[in-house]
Amino acid sequence: MFKDIGDVREKLGREDYIASEEISTVVYLAQSLNKPILAEGPAGVGKTELAKTWAKATGMPLIRLQCYEGLDESKALYEWEYAKQMLYTQLLRDTLRNVLGETQSLAEAAGRLAEEEDVFFSDNFLLPRPLLQAMMSDEPVVLLIDEIDRADVEFEAFLLEILSDFQVTIPELGTVKAKHQPMVLLTSNNTRELSEALKRRCLYLYVDYPRLDEELEIVRLKVPELSSDMAKQAVATVQQLRNMDLRKVPSISETLDWARALVALNADSIDEKTMRNTLTVLLKYESDVTKAQRRLGGADDGPYQYRR
Amino acid sequence: MDNRIVEFIRGLRAAGVRVSLAESLDALDAIGIMGIRDKGLFRASLRATLVKERKDFQAFEELFPLYFGSGGPPLQSAYGDMSEDEQKLLEAALSGLSGRIQGLLDWLTSGEGPTKEELEQMAKQAGVDWFDSPDQARWVTRRMMQQMGFGQLEEKLAELVEKLQAMGMSDEAIQKLLGVVEANREALVEQMAQQVGLQIAQERARRPDDLHGSDLMHKPLDALSEREVDMLRDEVKRLVAQLRSRAALRRRRGHKGKFDARGTIRANQRYGGVPIELKMKKRKLKPSLVLICDVSESMRYVVEFMMTLTYQLQDQVSKARSFAFYYDLVEITSLFSRSEVDIDSAFSEVRKILPYRPYGTDLGGSLEVFYDKHLSAVNHRTTVVMVGDGRNNYNPARVDLVRDLQKRGRRLIWLTPETHAHWGTGDSDMMTYAPVCDDVVVVRNLAQLASAVDKLLAGD
Repeated sequence: MFKDIGDVREKLGREDYIASEEISTVVYLAQSLNKPILAEGPAGVGKTELAKTWAKATGMPLIRLQCYEGLDESKALYEWEYAKQMLYTQLLRDTLRNVLGETQSLAEAAGRLAEEEDVFFSDNFLLPRPLLQAMMSDEPVVLLIDEIDRADVEFEAFLLEILSDFQVTIPELGTVKAKHQPMVLLTSNNTRELSEALKRRCLYLYVDYPRLDEELEIVRLKVPELSSDMAKQAVATVQQLRNMDLRKVPSISETLDWARALVALNADSIDEKTMRNTLTVLLKYESDVTKAQRRLGGADDGPYQYRR
Repeated sequence: MDNRIVEFIRGLRAAGVRVSLAESLDALDAIGIMGIRDKGLFRASLRATLVKERKDFQAFEELFPLYFGSGGPPLQSAYGDMSEDEQKLLEAALSGLSGRIQGLLDWLTSGEGPTKEELEQMAKQAGVDWFDSPDQARWVTRRMMQQMGFGQLEEKLAELVEKLQAMGMSDEAIQKLLGVVEANREALVEQMAQQVGLQIAQERARRPDDLHGSDLMHKPLDALSEREVDMLRDEVKRLVAQLRSRAALRRRRGHKGKFDARGTIRANQRYGGVPIELKMKKRKLKPSLVLICDVSESMRYVVEFMMTLTYQLQDQVSKARSFAFYYDLVEITSLFSRSEVDIDSAFSEVRKILPYRPYGTDLGGSLEVFYDKHLSAVNHRTTVVMVGDGRNNYNPARVDLVRDLQKRGRRLIWLTPETHAHWGTGDSDMMTYAPVCDDVVVVRNLAQLASAVDKLLAGD
């Protein structure tokens, strides 16, 4: 748990996450108001990372639910373990015979069996999925619901129900109420509009690409092996690429990959050759690569100005 | 403070940001925790709780300084740095002036500008109440400046300098004085601009007669103003989300179809072949649509919203082809089916292909063209949707073609913006078309259009 805003920033910083004022405010508010956070923004700016760091900084376990098209309750909440139930029925055949042996009629046998039904629908055979795990946990957890925009609309509605009162009814077992309300972070890449109702329940956080100085700080923190001079060049190049009209602009994670690649290659300046060899780390489309090469490598501006 | 926040929320709503009651309460709670001492935190807390869409950030950033700003930079006094003699000289020189220019120069030299109430009054005199758009703030500010005598300022200031020189004030002191006056002038203009901005925002929030969102949905489409159409375009996005989830739910809860033996055996391998999970063959429930739209000027918005709804809901439709007709018929599917389509520019494309021609509509002729070139678009699964007022300009109606389309397709639905009373009047052929359609739906406003589209998606 965080004491105040400064504490948020400091603890996240200790885990190598640079939280802007906005991020730390929202995280602190989420904790004090007990509200989920909805983080939107382009891919690869550290939305998922925020949840991971949040968990690490507070020492809470992280439970992650990755959303995709077709995700449904049985994969997100709980499922009965059919196979295990079948296996147990087989193994317990003898015991069952003993129980049912004394019965006279079929109806009586069925009645007797029904009395024992609890055995087969008990915690033993329940397979808790991330949402139920988060609710049944003995200590508070950070629940990351990743890429909610990929899930179907129905799932969103179902999630809404869970997020509003953190309890769920399992017909065979009864109502399970969360022992501790988890800290929830939903992320979305904005591929579709989320429902008003969901947005209304959440605190909203928009995470954008970082400014030059922020990105430089991130690179220094995460890839300290890279010389500061090289880091400056690399970040400047990436920022320049983001201003170009590309199919997919490089994100922070790609900047970091690139920085690591530069370290691995032992490059001491970003010249044409290094660029050519490593550009594919940053750009994921052939057309983008050619475009960038033409723009960055052609004239005397761009990273060329850094050549010694 | 709470009052101010509530007022701010009202301002946000008036600027088109949707803020629910629950969110307002969250904002107050958040401020209760965060306090108001740190402005950055205060702002971040309000934004996280109130604004849930990135496109609304701009409105927030514009309004925030107006409601929670200091009201602009403060003025400073020119007397502070002066010796007593110089102060007396300046006072004497100023007392020679009269009228509003004296008041203005008093403010600019003494560092005691107009109070908030005075500023408010002056803004009222400049006619601030007539405006409700932030773009007009500049204009009002300029009028305020005129009324305060900014027009004469240069001239009078030069006179004042001459007078002071004559009275024996040093050049250095005069330069200093001019510097202070200039800084104060800028500060005062900034104060006025903020005051005007705030008053305009409040005025807009107070205006009750503005129709918003759901009310607008019931206003006839041909009676909308430009601004209302813009507001409706936002509303359409919400509508699309609503229709989509309804269609998706309906499809999921709908009849599951026939038993799928092969699928069931495969799925139950893991239970040793005991059929625990049954698999059903899903019936194809997504409709396939052919839209034939009248794009004459009178149908502009009906068609625009129809196209927006249809193509935003593409994932709920198995296939949609669209045709525009006027005096000729062309296929326009490719213009609208791109994922990031700007409906406005798509429409100007259509306009380019089918330029305006007075009394040009030829529905019968267009149907013939459809029949010759695009008949393959219609098969037994297709729902044909005609969007038009059925006004044919006294050309042959070709009801036979419509009847044939109805027979070939699964069904034929006609959406018309005219009420029954107008059918058959003037050049309207609606009376002849209506009996051969499976359904004729009158769509006068967005709400009716949305329910029509919903019915189309439901496939009944």
